[in-house]
Amino acid sequence: MSRLFIVLLTLMSLSGCVSLNSLSLTQVPKDRSHLISASAYDWVFLGLTSQNYFVEEAINKLKIQCQGGKLTGILTKHQTTAYLLVFKREVVASGYCQKS
Amino acid sequence: MYKLLVATTVLVLLSACARLDHVQISDIDQSQGPLIPISVKVSEAGIDLSALAGIADKVKPNMLLEKLHIPAGNGGSNDSENLATLLALINMGPRTGNPVYDDSYAQDVLMQLYVQCPSGKITGLRSIREADSYGPVSGEVVRLDAYCIQ
Repeated sequence: MSRLFIVLLTLMSLSGCVSLNSLSLTQVPKDRSHLISASAYDWVFLGLTSQNYFVEEAINKLKIQCQGGKLTGILTKHQTTAYLLVFKREVVASGYCQKS
Repeated sequence: MYKLLVATTVLVLLSACARLDHVQISDIDQSQGPLIPISVKVSEAGIDLSALAGIADKVKPNMLLEKLHIPAGNGGSNDSENLATLLALINMGPRTGNPVYDDSYAQDVLMQLYVQCPSGKITGLRSIREADSYGPVSGEVVRLDAYCIQ
């Protein structure tokens, strides 16, 4: 019985419930041949954190993948995955890189 | 042990919890020249009055009623609870963060952004809605980060 309880508790701890906080999309270009994506996240315990700097990490990753080009059709997702007492806050962004 | 507990409580109360509500990233144009980061941040105090009333009731029952010159009935602490419920009902509805009492605090963010970009060519705009939360009181923040094309 106690083993079953431990297994259930472990499963509960490992599985997370995702909630989508916000989503946005900019104008999508005609040429959609070069799709790039980036994500950034941070972990917070009990929701206690003092910064939101991880968003900049996603921007920088996008910029690096489209240097000297124009990035349009950006889909931005901000989501939170809740585990037992721990939360994963994540920004996922994708877009189309156009280089002339 | 007691001192450590007090010090920890004070530290926890003084440090704010960051909250992230909304992130939007716009098109990023790196083809027209070097990008200079620019940023505008505006904040307004947000207050959860019903939570404050609840805390005040725990600290000193009927304190809020006395401040508002409302005579407490025979219900004792229930009167303060009713006030907290009333305040919660007044602020009921969909919302992001705590209510603020100035609905125009984010009105001029675009102008403030353009002031930082003499060329007027702004790209990579990030609209971020976040907050520094101190329990029932919070700083409701609107932040615009962008790049100015030189």
